[in-house]
Amino acid sequence: MKKMCVVLDEREVQDNPFKPEMFRIVRRYPLTSDVNFFQARPMDVDEALKFNYLPGQFIMLSVVGEGEAPFCISSSPTRPGLLEFCIRNVGTLTSSLSNLKENQTIGIRGPYGNGFPMDKLEGKDIMIVAGGLGVAPLRSLLLNILDDRDKFGKVTYMYGARTPELMLFRDEFMRFKERDDINCLLAVEKDESGTWKDKFGMVTSLFKDLGPIDAKNTVAVVCGPPVMYKFVMEHVVKLGIPKHQILMTLERRMKCGIGKCGHCAIEYLYTCIDGPVFSWWDVLHMKELIGRGASDKTFA
Amino acid sequence: MMILKMKKEDLSTFLDSIREWGELWGPVKKGDKCTYAKVDSLSQMDLKATRTIIPPKKFLYPPRFTMFDYDEEGYVERLGDVPKRILFGIHPCDLHGVLIMDKLFLEKYNDPYYRERREKTLFLGHSCIPDDKCMCFATNTDFIAEGFDLFFTDLKMFYLVWVGSTKGHDLVRMRPELFSRELDKNDILNYTEYRKWKNAQFKAQVDFTGMPDIFELAYTSPIWDQLAEKCLSCGQCSMVCPTCNCYNVTDEVELGALEGTRDRFWDSCMFREYSLVAGGSNFRDKRADRLRLWYTHKLQAFIGEFGKPACVGCGRCVSTCPVDINVVTVSNALKELEVGK
Amino acid sequence: MTRHSPKIGVYGFTGCAGDQLMILNCEDQLVDLFGATEIRSFVMAKSDNHEGELDVAFIEGSISTEEQLKRLKEIRERSKVMIAIGTCACHGGPQSMKLGENKFDEMYKKVYGNAKIAISKAFEAQPIDAFVKVDMYIPGCPIDKAEFLGAVTKLVAGRHPYLLKAPVCLECRWKENPCILYSGKFCGGPLTKAGCGAICPSMNLPCVGCWGPTDDLNASSEYNLLKEKGYRSEEIIQKMKKFGGAKMAKLVAEFDKKEAKA
Repeated sequence: MKKMCVVLDEREVQDNPFKPEMFRIVRRYPLTSDVNFFQARPMDVDEALKFNYLPGQFIMLSVVGEGEAPFCISSSPTRPGLLEFCIRNVGTLTSSLSNLKENQTIGIRGPYGNGFPMDKLEGKDIMIVAGGLGVAPLRSLLLNILDDRDKFGKVTYMYGARTPELMLFRDEFMRFKERDDINCLLAVEKDESGTWKDKFGMVTSLFKDLGPIDAKNTVAVVCGPPVMYKFVMEHVVKLGIPKHQILMTLERRMKCGIGKCGHCAIEYLYTCIDGPVFSWWDVLHMKELIGRGASDKTFA
Repeated sequence: MMILKMKKEDLSTFLDSIREWGELWGPVKKGDKCTYAKVDSLSQMDLKATRTIIPPKKFLYPPRFTMFDYDEEGYVERLGDVPKRILFGIHPCDLHGVLIMDKLFLEKYNDPYYRERREKTLFLGHSCIPDDKCMCFATNTDFIAEGFDLFFTDLKMFYLVWVGSTKGHDLVRMRPELFSRELDKNDILNYTEYRKWKNAQFKAQVDFTGMPDIFELAYTSPIWDQLAEKCLSCGQCSMVCPTCNCYNVTDEVELGALEGTRDRFWDSCMFREYSLVAGGSNFRDKRADRLRLWYTHKLQAFIGEFGKPACVGCGRCVSTCPVDINVVTVSNALKELEVGK
Repeated sequence: MTRHSPKIGVYGFTGCAGDQLMILNCEDQLVDLFGATEIRSFVMAKSDNHEGELDVAFIEGSISTEEQLKRLKEIRERSKVMIAIGTCACHGGPQSMKLGENKFDEMYKKVYGNAKIAISKAFEAQPIDAFVKVDMYIPGCPIDKAEFLGAVTKLVAGRHPYLLKAPVCLECRWKENPCILYSGKFCGGPLTKAGCGAICPSMNLPCVGCWGPTDDLNASSEYNLLKEKGYRSEEIIQKMKKFGGAKMAKLVAEFDKKEAKA
């Protein structure tokens, strides 16, 4: 029988999903001249270990008196207790955030979004391609995979930055180069300091060093500035990786994070609840996902 | 569903009796338009009014309200100060609009601010007289089978009253002697006659069949640029649309302290600021892109997702947009490849 | 959290001083405002003024003489943040409504004749951002108390003010007024920044545009619409330019040129 009336009382009563919980900033230090690294944990220590999330998910972060905005999580759920973020100082909220010191508080609610489908990634070869600040969500995925190394096949990590100084987590990634269970390829476009001993060029230039890959069994995960996608996708698609196995995570303006405020809508999808992780196959069908110009070029 | 019968002259008595449940609101005149306002009795209402300027969504989430009071210790939700209201005279299209809002605000994460107001608001629907801007026939929202507490269909001498919820039934039980369960063949004839009459009233030239495909085909159509040349980006279409739910949030601060309120207010995807992200990149900087989002959302995406458009045919965009951009002109322009005068 | 009381200066140039008056008219909050900030200079409000480094300079009025220009640049140099208050400072105000028409000399002559003005050389009034970098705009004629205080309290808290960028129509719809433009009469709502609470349309009077143009207005579409409704071209342009200042002058010149071609 057709449901004849809305019986609101039957719906599950939830806690207010808009209510931020207070977190303490445990550590913060600059990663580059305009990107800060933050570590935060709930004021209530018992809550800290209960905060579960998936790589690729995001939280809504409030700075008291300033407002609220979405930020992806850079830490791995395999290392519970602390949440980590790398946040570029670009707007009003981030500039107030960059003035906060260790031991001051911020509001956090979440985690939100679909995140990376970790169960589907198991057993697959993983290729991670990051550009610039795009490394922020991908570091979560990478650390998670390395902590659960046995569950995954071959792991390739490619990261390009403009200069060595702009390469986030440079020391951490340099150490990955010494490991034999990950193929870590790093490149910078230019180096005025003369300290860079590794490869030069855009992230796309790393594809020639890739070696043979098992395309059908590979999942590629890409994140970077919108302009990067069209170049990287050409390379990834050429490798023969099926389009639904190419994942990307997107950024949009959001005011709620839970599919109410409408700001992140793309056709009938909300970046906040249907994303922020989408496949290249999704993108091909939804021209607005990474902006008109970028997808038009890659259509043919 | 339970259908009862009420003598027309008893309506006023009934509304007076149920006012002990909460404030009574109904359609009243405002200039040559109409609005839902608080009233004392039936005599203040204008039941012949077609559409109010703003749909009843304003009761379920007001244009601007406070979500939280905050200080450096944290955020405290502000709930509980909403009055109980009875809305009388809501038309089927607007009730369909409320059902779409329910879907958006109550599914998955449920919005406690919407929920509280929804629970404290009773919807007493009323049959309507379509005008030349009504197009609920094209969106299949000209009649309604759910979402209301009571629904009154005006059959000249009598009202047929659909009882749609347990709260609606409670209202009936306040004055049971005004309602009769005895319906006869005349009621069937009258009701059938009424439906025929209503169906014959529509004059708007609009047909939404095939819209999802037409939108897909017209993605790069120059029509969007032509419409954008006219669009004033005033955002009125979003404010008056019963299914537009977008909002913005801002934190207000008290003088000399780090405490204040987090407020939420209606926003529109027609504004340039809407899709602007920190750092200045804007995914919909062009007015044409913003227009396309609005109409794609109403007439393509929602159909693809839920099998019906996010347009309830109320005609408010038609009676609001100063430059004639509305669901009728846009859907026709996409099909006919020219923007009508 | 460290509280700082920012050093503030309030200065007036070519305008009616209505915005400064509005600040003084914030009766309920004035004591708190003077308590939470250090008002270094505010000639209209007090006599003991000190000209030195400022955290925030509020500037009212447009710039119309060499002397004012010199003073403005001097204030800019010693201010961390400069905020234009009122439509004159933000956009030029009514005294800039003929910007772009190259009629200044003619106007000057009409008012002053051949009299020699010795104080300072005058030029056509322009918004302050024609000469110096402006960090924030709080328009209005006069400014709205709530909007001004909302911005100041945020600055005092070390936060960023948020002002509506949308047109007046947003607030007008919230008030559920019937649309004046839809009824075929001139209304500046779609062209004008919100923040006033749509006072005029709520009194059934058309918006005259006193908050100045929005960032994203479609002036030519409104112009075409009003022409269809029977308005004369000069009348529409005059109404649009009244508070539209430098920005509207540029837009009007564009669609004027387009029309001349057609």
